[in-house]
Amino acid sequence: MRIAVCVKHAVDETELKIDSGGKPLLSGATSRMSTFDKNAVEEGLRLKAAHQGEVVIFTVGPSDSKKTMKEALAMGADKGVLVTADTTSIDTMRTASLLAAAIKKAGPFDVVLCSEGSSDTYSGQVPPMLGEMLGAAFTGYARKLEVNGQTARVERSLEDSLEVVEAPLPVVASVVSEINEPRYPTLIQIMQAGKKPLEELNGDQLQPAGAYRQASVVSMSAQQSARKHVMIEGSPDEAAAKLVEALIREGVLSK
Amino acid sequence: MAGLDVGYLAVYLLSLASVAVFGYAILWHARRTSTSIGPGRLLGLGEDEARRLASGDPVFLMHLSIAVGIGLSIANAILDPVMPYVPLLKDAFLVLSVPLIVGLVAAFVWRIQVYFRSKGVEREFKSTASFTSASTFLQLILMLAVALTASELALFWFPSLVIASGLVGVVRNSLVAVYYSRPSVNLVGNFDRPLSAVRTPFNLADVMSGKTDASAISIGAGKISDFDTSQRLTFDSCVEIGACEAACPATAAGRPLSPRVLVRKVSLLAREGGGSADPFTTVGEDELWSCTSCGACMSSCPVSVKHLDVIYDLRRGLVAKGKLDKEKSAMLENLAQNQNPYGFKNATRGDWARGLGVDTLATNPKAEYLYWVGCLSSFDQRAQRIARALSKILKQAGVSFAILGAEEFCVGDPARRLGEEGRYQELAYQNIEKLNSYGVKKIIATCPHCFNALKNEYPQFGGRYEVVHHTQLISDLIKAGRIRVPAEKIQKISVTLHDACYASRYNNVFDEPREILGASVSDVREMGRRKEKTFCCGAGGSNYWYKVPQQRSIAGIRTEEAQKTGAKAIATECPFCLSMFDDTTKVMNTGMDVRDVAEIVAECL
Amino acid sequence: MSGAVWSYSENESVSNEVASAAADVAKGASAEPVVLEIGAVRAGVRAPGAKLLLKGPATSDVPPEVAAEAIAKASKQLQPAAILIGATRYGREIASRLAVKLTVGCLSEVSKLSADGNALAGERNAFAGKVVAKVSCALPAIATVKVGYYAAVESAGTAVTESDVGQVNPLVKVVSREKKAAGAVDLRSAKVIVSAGRGVKKKEDLPMLEELAREMHGALGCSRPLSSDLGWLPEEHHIGLTGVTVKPDLYLALGISGQLQHTAGMKDSKVVAAVNTDKDAPIFQASDYGIVGDLYQIVPAIRKALASRR
Repeated sequence: MRIAVCVKHAVDETELKIDSGGKPLLSGATSRMSTFDKNAVEEGLRLKAAHQGEVVIFTVGPSDSKKTMKEALAMGADKGVLVTADTTSIDTMRTASLLAAAIKKAGPFDVVLCSEGSSDTYSGQVPPMLGEMLGAAFTGYARKLEVNGQTARVERSLEDSLEVVEAPLPVVASVVSEINEPRYPTLIQIMQAGKKPLEELNGDQLQPAGAYRQASVVSMSAQQSARKHVMIEGSPDEAAAKLVEALIREGVLSK
Repeated sequence: MAGLDVGYLAVYLLSLASVAVFGYAILWHARRTSTSIGPGRLLGLGEDEARRLASGDPVFLMHLSIAVGIGLSIANAILDPVMPYVPLLKDAFLVLSVPLIVGLVAAFVWRIQVYFRSKGVEREFKSTASFTSASTFLQLILMLAVALTASELALFWFPSLVIASGLVGVVRNSLVAVYYSRPSVNLVGNFDRPLSAVRTPFNLADVMSGKTDASAISIGAGKISDFDTSQRLTFDSCVEIGACEAACPATAAGRPLSPRVLVRKVSLLAREGGGSADPFTTVGEDELWSCTSCGACMSSCPVSVKHLDVIYDLRRGLVAKGKLDKEKSAMLENLAQNQNPYGFKNATRGDWARGLGVDTLATNPKAEYLYWVGCLSSFDQRAQRIARALSKILKQAGVSFAILGAEEFCVGDPARRLGEEGRYQELAYQNIEKLNSYGVKKIIATCPHCFNALKNEYPQFGGRYEVVHHTQLISDLIKAGRIRVPAEKIQKISVTLHDACYASRYNNVFDEPREILGASVSDVREMGRRKEKTFCCGAGGSNYWYKVPQQRSIAGIRTEEAQKTGAKAIATECPFCLSMFDDTTKVMNTGMDVRDVAEIVAECL
Repeated sequence: MSGAVWSYSENESVSNEVASAAADVAKGASAEPVVLEIGAVRAGVRAPGAKLLLKGPATSDVPPEVAAEAIAKASKQLQPAAILIGATRYGREIASRLAVKLTVGCLSEVSKLSADGNALAGERNAFAGKVVAKVSCALPAIATVKVGYYAAVESAGTAVTESDVGQVNPLVKVVSREKKAAGAVDLRSAKVIVSAGRGVKKKEDLPMLEELAREMHGALGCSRPLSSDLGWLPEEHHIGLTGVTVKPDLYLALGISGQLQHTAGMKDSKVVAAVNTDKDAPIFQASDYGIVGDLYQIVPAIRKALASRR
């Protein structure tokens, strides 16, 4: 079985720094493998363990993304394909089309795995777009995935229900974090993974940008992140009423 | 001696032969394991044993009785022919034999108790029949050796039974040669190896520079042959004394770990399964994670078995296989990403010091001391009070100090204890690079885990500093009169000190916190297990970050001990101990207060 | 600008929210908001404005693959200026598929939508809520609309026009669907978490907090002592380093002292409120709102205050 796993080298929001003007400092920010992508890699490795074959990692991003890919290779993937592109200026559809082109080039694949969304922007659009572009069946939010012969059986986790679906291979699936517990690759394993094959493709040469107008980010500003430390005084009834009022004002208490 | 008695001569020659066999067995094991057992080592061992003798620990005295009893009876057998010619020699032997016989009888009785306890542990663990019989066999051998030695000493008093005495000695010497020459070598080789010495399977700097090929490194034990000769020597040296099991907090808490059972299982597997045998067929994951690395097993072992050498390598094996649950891998990922094990933004590390006028090395590179705050005191709102208290004390005493602030990374201890050596060394090298670039010479640490790593581990990676635990520095400041607790400020409370393993047992820091408490509170009470014999709080060995199945909590056992002293407060010297007891004292409704010694002093100023 | 602004969600109440967003966008684009229905008109969809019923697919259940194909066919015929889809798990798939099928740009998770000249503009959170980004895409465009942001405006429905899009044969076949068990603890996806600490004196007092959690549409969590040490709550309620890590909109810590063991598991909550008798409890350092007081008095008072607002 050939399994493609798409991962993103995403800015680590926990270490994001803000400049004095309230703008996030994205250039020079530390990046890492997008959190849930580890679940996708782990699921690919699980499928490989069950069905033999190989796991190929696909990434669209700057060449710094190799750090993330090495981590995926250290987890146990066999090889990687990096499509270089400036991810700060392309939209989800452009990302999906580059991934689709690279996957087609290295294909065919039986299963293409993504996570439900990236930890930086959490759009959740690339996986279904990939499904469309590859002309393959797509199923999102898998919390369980089994392949029997030429059929994938997926338990997808929706807001308030669980849905079991079946789709013919090849299938594109996005996974939720409940699907597995990703293994931790050690530092030495990551260094050892440096020896695994990692192909680099230039995005613009691989697939020229399409004719549509891309969605874009106009500006960004940081949200106040420090805690407010407001101490509410008064009798229990007064304090409770003030608290409820404050929480409603914050928009965190639903009707 | 009138005429040559053939029977006597035969037995005499036999005893000489049996002693020679014992001696040869020792030399053979020493050579095979390249262990030095020269006179220097033996002298050192003698001094070490004398030091421990002075501590007056009854269990140690019993073990010493066995060793000295064997030595005395061997000397007696060899010297027997010359006894009549040397005045008082026989009398000296007779006098010495009395306390040793008492010690040996006590040891025999104690062995019976050990036997029942150890069989109870094995029942609890559902040990296999073959393990239990192998363990019972070794324990019976030990009891036999004790009984034979006691009888031989008793026979000193009956000169007419010299042949019987000689024969008893021959049998005992043969047992000793077969079963105790290896542990003897292990003892001579390891008695002075500090608890803090962790085996280092590779040096990251060499891997980075290409001197060591990364792909050639295999980390952790996946099969028996991954253990080297010295590890084999140490786990094969266990003779079922059971002192480790009695001291182990994990065993006491009903966790699935006994250091005795663990090393014996590995040793038996090595004997039966050979080099390709997989240790994880007999050692469980929870068993390995149960260890808090408190070191009680190793420091109580009379033959210096190094249990942690085995545990760390097996943990490294689990990490390399990706056998980590969510909590453990999250901790390691946090270290990789945020340089602290909690996943906080590391840039906020110095925020606790805001408004206190505490310098960073960046603003005051000339500061005499670097205060190494550690992650818990940087990010835990409760433990931050320790950092604030120490800052107050240092300022009052006019000590020139600064912190690294956002430039400080986790010291790496949680990664190392969990078995992720690479991540540990990466953090160590990053920290050392910064410390050396600032030309740091002296460091104060409030966290004993940071203290231990900076003091004992960093030198191996090129970081050499004069490192003190805050209790050492505060005690010095009090002695030098640089801080003074006025009589009316002495707190009128009863306090009991919980010694942190990594300060006391690992680094012999235990008098200083007592001196501090003596100067700042009215009533200091002591728990039975204290100083280098302290009992763990349950957080060490990375246990703070995960859960292990257990019947009761280690911290709970210790809190009960503290309660029994009648003290109203527990004084700590480690932010992790503080955090553990903060929970248990509340859960157990003890009404006890938990504070770091630095906080107690700071309140008196 | 010409053409309509379409809105759709498979979920009835989200459908009403997205219709409000579409109305905002339509105003700026001097276009008409149109609520899409697929297969059949649903009684619960009561947003103002015209409705367009796409006929062809089976009436009851419209999987995302079918919805996307139906909307794409209609869109090719009717050329709307923008299509807004509720950002549910189905909705994200529908919008993404549509973007590829129609080759138009697609915004995601947007609120504060407007038509800005020839573009669809809005705001979205990024980097786990630490950053707000203003985003835009030239019309025609698609967007998934953040759920829970727009108020659902309900009014009498207006005229329904119909468009036949024919049968759609999806690759993915739904075998079964069941509701997730009600009351199941899913702290990781809870929007509100009421969390109990050692300030709770006995196990029998926990139902009071459970009630509060239910009234706040939230879930009940706890700190380590209550689950691991005392066993009053099962382990899945345990929030902290050795338990679950959560990121709710509101975290209400009751009788929790605030050790890092606990706070490391809830530090990314949007708003934290704490009640504790000890004014020096570390939890107040990690809180936006704090009340120094006895939870046995404050909790009933909060419940009263909540009830008076209903």
